[in-house]
Amino acid sequence: MNVGIEDLHVAYAGRNVVAGVHLMAAAGEIAGLVGPNGSGKSTVLRTVYRHLRPAAGRVLLAGADIRTLTPGQTARHVAALPQERGSDFELAVREVVAMGRTPYKRAFAGEDRDDRETVARSLAAVGMAGQDARRFAALSGGERQRVLLARAFAQDPDVLVLDEPTNHLDVRHQVELLALLRAQRRTTLISLHDLNAAASLCDRLHVLHGGRVVASGAPRAVLTPELLAEVFGVRAAVTEHPLTGDPLIAFDHRRLPPSSPASGGGPDGEG
Amino acid sequence: MREDGPVRDDTAGRAGRGVRTGVLAVGLGAALVVALTVAVSLGATDIAPDRVWSVVFRRLGGAPPRPGTNDLIVWQLRLPRALLAACVGAGLGLVGTATQALVRNPLADPYLLGISNGASLGAVGAIVLGAGTGGLLGLGLSAAAFAGALAAFALVWFMARRGGGFSPLRLVLAGVGIGQFLSGFTSYLVLQAGDEQQTRSVLFWLMGSLSGATWQVLWPPVLAVAAGLLALQARARAMNALIMGDETAAGVGVDVTRLRRELFVVTSLLTGVLVAVSGAVGFVGLMVPHLCRLVVGGDHRRLLPLSALTGALLLVVVDIVCRTAMDTQELPVGVVTAMIGAPALLFLLDRRMAVGR
Repeated sequence: MNVGIEDLHVAYAGRNVVAGVHLMAAAGEIAGLVGPNGSGKSTVLRTVYRHLRPAAGRVLLAGADIRTLTPGQTARHVAALPQERGSDFELAVREVVAMGRTPYKRAFAGEDRDDRETVARSLAAVGMAGQDARRFAALSGGERQRVLLARAFAQDPDVLVLDEPTNHLDVRHQVELLALLRAQRRTTLISLHDLNAAASLCDRLHVLHGGRVVASGAPRAVLTPELLAEVFGVRAAVTEHPLTGDPLIAFDHRRLPPSSPASGGGPDGEG
Repeated sequence: MREDGPVRDDTAGRAGRGVRTGVLAVGLGAALVVALTVAVSLGATDIAPDRVWSVVFRRLGGAPPRPGTNDLIVWQLRLPRALLAACVGAGLGLVGTATQALVRNPLADPYLLGISNGASLGAVGAIVLGAGTGGLLGLGLSAAAFAGALAAFALVWFMARRGGGFSPLRLVLAGVGIGQFLSGFTSYLVLQAGDEQQTRSVLFWLMGSLSGATWQVLWPPVLAVAAGLLALQARARAMNALIMGDETAAGVGVDVTRLRRELFVVTSLLTGVLVAVSGAVGFVGLMVPHLCRLVVGGDHRRLLPLSALTGALLLVVVDIVCRTAMDTQELPVGVVTAMIGAPALLFLLDRRMAVGR
C-alpha cells in the first residue's frame, strides 16, 4: 500500500512546524526521513498515525484521504512505533503486544485463537518468542523496542511508521532492529538520526529542513557533501562502505564547514 | 530502567493469569458475602449469622416479615448500610483505576486530585442553598456533587497542563492545592450555615460516613456503579493503550481526545454520586488498583472488575471496624481509610523511589 503526503502543514503550539511537505512512499518501499533536530520529521510521522491533525494538506493511503477513515480503520492499515517508552503499569509483554489487536476488536470482545496466534507470531518475528509473561517494565531497552515492534506487527499493517526506533539502543541492537525492518516487506516510513543507518536501510531518503522537504531520492544521490554542509551544517566526506558497498558518510568531527550558519562563532579545532 | 526492585522477579508468576483472575474473583466474591454477613450480624445487639440469613431469605422470598426487632435491625438498618459500603467501595475502586489510567499516573485518585473536594463543595453548596431538601442524600445532591467534581477535575487538569507540560508531579501538586482551596470554601459554607446540629452532621458526613444508609439512598450509587463498570469495561482495551502514551493509543486506533473526555465524565459522575452518599472517602481509590495490579497485572479487562470487588470487600470490612471500634460512637469511614491509606501511600512512594523512578 503506498503512502502519499500532499502539501502538509502542521502547526504546533502556534508555530508552523511543517510547512508544505510533499512526499510519496511506494508500496513495499522503505522511505527514510532525515534532517536536523526540529526539522519536522516526527511531526510528519505523527500525522500519518493520526496523533496530530494537519492544519492543511492530506495524508493518502493508497490514494484515499485518511480523514475519510475512522481512527480504528486507519490503524488496521497503519501501525506506529512512536518514541514513547511506556510507564510502569505492570503490563506483561503479551499484553503490550496484544494492544496491536485493538483496531480489530469490539468492546467487551476477548482474545480469540487468531489473536493469540498473531501475538505469538509477532513475538517470534522479533526474536522474543516465549517471553510473553515477562514484565514489560523490566525489559532492557533493546528488548523493549523489539516488543513494541512486535505490537506494531500484531496490528497486521500495510504501512509501518517508526519514529527514531534506534534511539537509546546500543550498536548491536541497532543492527538487529534494522535487519528486522529489512526482512519484512511492508511500506515503511522511518525517521532516523543516524545517516549511515538511513543510507544502508532506506530505498529512498527525504531530507527535511525547516519543515520542508529539501531533497528526495536514493541515498547515494541525496547524501552529498554539499547537502550535508547546507542542511546539517557539518563537513563530511561520502565514500563507499568497504564491507557493504552502501554510501558511507565520514563526518569531520574537528571542523565545521567554512560558511556554516550553525557554527555559533566557536573556535575551530576544538572538540 | 533495566533495574528492578529487589523483591520483584521478572515474571512474578504471571503464567495462566486468566485462570488465576477467575479463581481470585470467585474467592473475593465469597469473602465479600462472608464480610457482609459479619457486618449485618455485628452491632449493639449481635445477631447470629443464620438468623441474619433467615431474615434476608424471608424478605427476598416475599414472605411477610416476622414481627420483631431482628427484622428491623437486619433489613432496615444494617443490611442497607453494609450494601452501601460494598457499593461505595466498588465505586471507589473503579474510579481510582479509571483516574490512574486517565492521568497516566499510578499514584492518582479522586481524593488526591481534589475531585472529591469539588464534589463535597458542590454537595454542601446545594445543602446550604436548600436544594438538598429531599434529605441529605437526595438526587439533587448527587447532581450538585457531580457538577462540583467535574469543575474541580477540569480546573486541576487545566492547571497541570498549562504551558504544555504534563508531569505527574505537577498534576498531584495542582490537585492537592486546588483540593485544599475548595475544602476551605466548604468549611466556610458549613460554618456559615449556623445550625449547630446540621453543622455537626455535615462535618461528620464530609469526613466520609455511611451512617445515612437506607434502601432509598442505595439505588442511585448502585445504578451509577453498575453503569460505570459497564462503561469502563467497554473501554478497557483502549485504556490499556492510553497508559502506554497518547501516541501509542492513537497508533492503535484509539480516538484519544474522545476517550479522555468520556473517562473524565465517568469518573466525575461516579465521584459525585459516591460523595453525595458517603462524603469524601480517601485512599481506597489509590490503594485498591495498586494492590490488584500487583496481583493480576495492569490489563484493565481484569483490573476493573477485580478493583471493584476488592474495593467492596475493603470498605465493608472498614465499616465493620468503624461501627464496632468504639462503644459510645462510631468512627467516620474516611478516618479509618486515611489511617490505613496514608501510610500505604508513603510506602508506595518509597518503593517507587527505590526502583529509581
